[in-house]
Amino acid sequence: MAQLTAAPLSALVDEPVHIRATGLTPSQLVCLRASLSDEKGNLFYSQAYYKASDTGEVDLEMDPSLGGDFVGVHPMGLFWSLKPETPLKRLMKRDVMNSPFQIQLKLCDPDVPITNRDSSTLTASLTLERWYVAPGVTRIEVKEGRLRGALFLPPGDNHFPGVIDLFGSGGGLIEFRAGLLASRGFATLALAYWGYDDLPRQLREVDIEYFEEAVNFLLRHPKVLGPGVGILSICKGAEIGLSMAINLKQISATVLINGPNFVISNPHVYRGEVSQPTPYSIELISSNALGFVAFHRVYEQTGDVDSQYFFPIEKAQGHFLFIVGEEDKNINSKCYAQQAIEQLRRNGKENWTLLSYPGAGHLIEPPYSPLCYASRIPYVHPNILWGGDVIPHAAAQEHSWKEIQKFLREHLISTRTSQL
Amino acid sequence: KMFQLTATPSSALADEPVAIRATGLPPSKVVTLQASLKDEKGNLFQSRAFYRANKAGEIDLEQDPALGGDYVGVHSMGLFWSMKPTVAFQRLLKRDVMNSPFCITLDLYDSVCFKDSATVPPRVSQMVQRWFSGPGVQRKQIREGRVRGALFLPPGEGPFPGIIDLFGNIGGLVEFRASLLASSGFAVLALAYFAYEDLPEKLLEVDLEYFEEAASFLLSHPKIQRPGIGVISVSKGAEIGLAMACYLKQVVATVCINGCNMVVEVPLRYRDLVVPPILPALEYSQVHMSGAVSLQRCFGELLNKSNHQSVLPVEKAEGKILFIVGENDECIHSRAFAERAMDQLRSHGRSTGRMLAYPGAGHLIEPPYAPLCFWSWQHKLACPVVWGGDPVAHASTQEHVWGEIQKFFRQHLVKTTNKL
Repeated sequence: MAQLTAAPLSALVDEPVHIRATGLTPSQLVCLRASLSDEKGNLFYSQAYYKASDTGEVDLEMDPSLGGDFVGVHPMGLFWSLKPETPLKRLMKRDVMNSPFQIQLKLCDPDVPITNRDSSTLTASLTLERWYVAPGVTRIEVKEGRLRGALFLPPGDNHFPGVIDLFGSGGGLIEFRAGLLASRGFATLALAYWGYDDLPRQLREVDIEYFEEAVNFLLRHPKVLGPGVGILSICKGAEIGLSMAINLKQISATVLINGPNFVISNPHVYRGEVSQPTPYSIELISSNALGFVAFHRVYEQTGDVDSQYFFPIEKAQGHFLFIVGEEDKNINSKCYAQQAIEQLRRNGKENWTLLSYPGAGHLIEPPYSPLCYASRIPYVHPNILWGGDVIPHAAAQEHSWKEIQKFLREHLISTRTSQL
Repeated sequence: KMFQLTATPSSALADEPVAIRATGLPPSKVVTLQASLKDEKGNLFQSRAFYRANKAGEIDLEQDPALGGDYVGVHSMGLFWSMKPTVAFQRLLKRDVMNSPFCITLDLYDSVCFKDSATVPPRVSQMVQRWFSGPGVQRKQIREGRVRGALFLPPGEGPFPGIIDLFGNIGGLVEFRASLLASSGFAVLALAYFAYEDLPEKLLEVDLEYFEEAASFLLSHPKIQRPGIGVISVSKGAEIGLAMACYLKQVVATVCINGCNMVVEVPLRYRDLVVPPILPALEYSQVHMSGAVSLQRCFGELLNKSNHQSVLPVEKAEGKILFIVGENDECIHSRAFAERAMDQLRSHGRSTGRMLAYPGAGHLIEPPYAPLCFWSWQHKLACPVVWGGDPVAHASTQEHVWGEIQKFFRQHLVKTTNKL
């Protein structure tokens, strides 16, 4: 009797799962399929082909996939290689508190055409729950002053290091990373800044005082450890995170994932000082063979080379963790991190760490998230290329998540003990 | 300012280059050139590139580089070969090759327009017609015995060198390459072998006697040279073409584009001989990040198995064989199969084979300026399949290959007749 096991069946999304099949015939060829339906009913699928051992077993921690969505030994491959049935859909959990993503794992006979999703020769199946919050994490809707967002608190009566979580792209409120970070012991504020509630429907300018309000809000909270807070930010969020770190003294630790070291699109304003957006050459975009558009060359003549546009990063007091996907096709991420680091070095500063990942793309997310290598941004473009090769991108996500937590703990908790 | 756009010649065969120039532009202005085509089913294909006018307000595609868009650099025919379908997985293929051309609209916009539908009207437009048959080329529907296809004859008395044209698993009757070759002075029989008229709906076996009938039919035609004919073949067709070269004495010159040197999937029958097929191992397929499937490793695995029975006996071929290989072929491991065949010839002391391998070229190597079809829907597998190819390399390959194919046929088919 063929059997499929997975442990743990219910876990946080950043926890690995050990998948095994037993009771097969020796050297039997099987197909393992994963499928998921997101909150809007969009379907995502992945599959891999395995050959059972002499004892009729397949153990994903040791055995290589022969083909399918990934090749080789990748215990979590079925998760990070999930692909949307409708091209270009991005997998993103919206309600992080009340429900997990449910993933159906199926063990099938491989004698079916490759993409026959509804295989009737099903041998065994089970359902996994993948949660974005740990038991006991609380979510508090934030609607104070101008601030709009959600604060996630770890369980317990302690004080927790505070982090502001900033996304980019399409605005709105994205909560999944904040929920996960809170599950790992950080009081995390998922902060919206446009396209949400009564915030501006389009981003006109980046008002750093809004983000300063958020920092003060966090530090005022009884469960937040001070005296500084951290920032976890990606893309446009990282551009803002860098600006915050320079202008706001209470920023002790800033994680910048694939962000620019200059102003993009909208001016930054802080207490009357305005930093204008950097000119760009839109004619430098290019389509690949599939028709997806790479934007990473548009600052080739300005932000890529001319220091007059760079943020004065040497003025920042906290520490920086630069995370770079070297195959980022949306922004020239590697160049910008290097420019920022050069500027720190020239000013005699060593308050930075660089993690540069060959093969990783723009959208570096928590571990096991499927690679979203292109998608659409309403009003900007129907098919934007983010880039990344599946296997190195997955490895970068695993490695960087651990490093991010280590970095934030090191610079948010030790400041407190150093004061004693 | 009088914007002008010229395309010369505005009406030509699809394998002829077009010189595109723009004048009367604002000096140094960056403009968009867009090409649009609707195929016979109304599917839209488009390409665009961004150019900077010189100080005299001119752009000459034969000298000036595209800054961005669907290609970068100096590519005078780039607008043609970089066209992409607006709906994914569609392949551009002219069906009616006699009565109508492809009509391409060239639009010039005086700004950078990178979204799918421009919000401003073009400043000037030009129509270009691309024909698949030259003046005087005749088409005859063929229903002789079992033979089904279309014979294209050049204008004039002849006799002309005769060629059989074979496509692959697309089935039906594909005529555009035969009609173009006929426009260069060859008599070409576009031959269907399944899913056409009263031929079998599915390819269950390759009956070489059917192809022998076709060869005999061609040689019996008053306008076709004797004693030998050529074969031009791609993909599955190339496997059949190679079998024809091995077993049919009348075949004296064979071009095999991206085919296997083994009998694959279905058996080959010729008189008493039945060659068993080797089956591709679908468990080695790989799902490309786009969701389309790459079959290359399924066929690649065949190379590891020592199935001598299924290998075609190329040493028996009496005529010449030209292997055309796209090194970025994602459908089959084209180079490996061609090298195996070349090794086999050498080991039997035969010098009848020649291989041309093109780095960056994919599976669907077509006549010059045909858009790279990187992926398309494959009906047999009911899923999208990746054919592969890097656009720039693939385009230059198509140009070079077309010349080499005609040189090859002229060298080995056109015999100087001794008139006694």
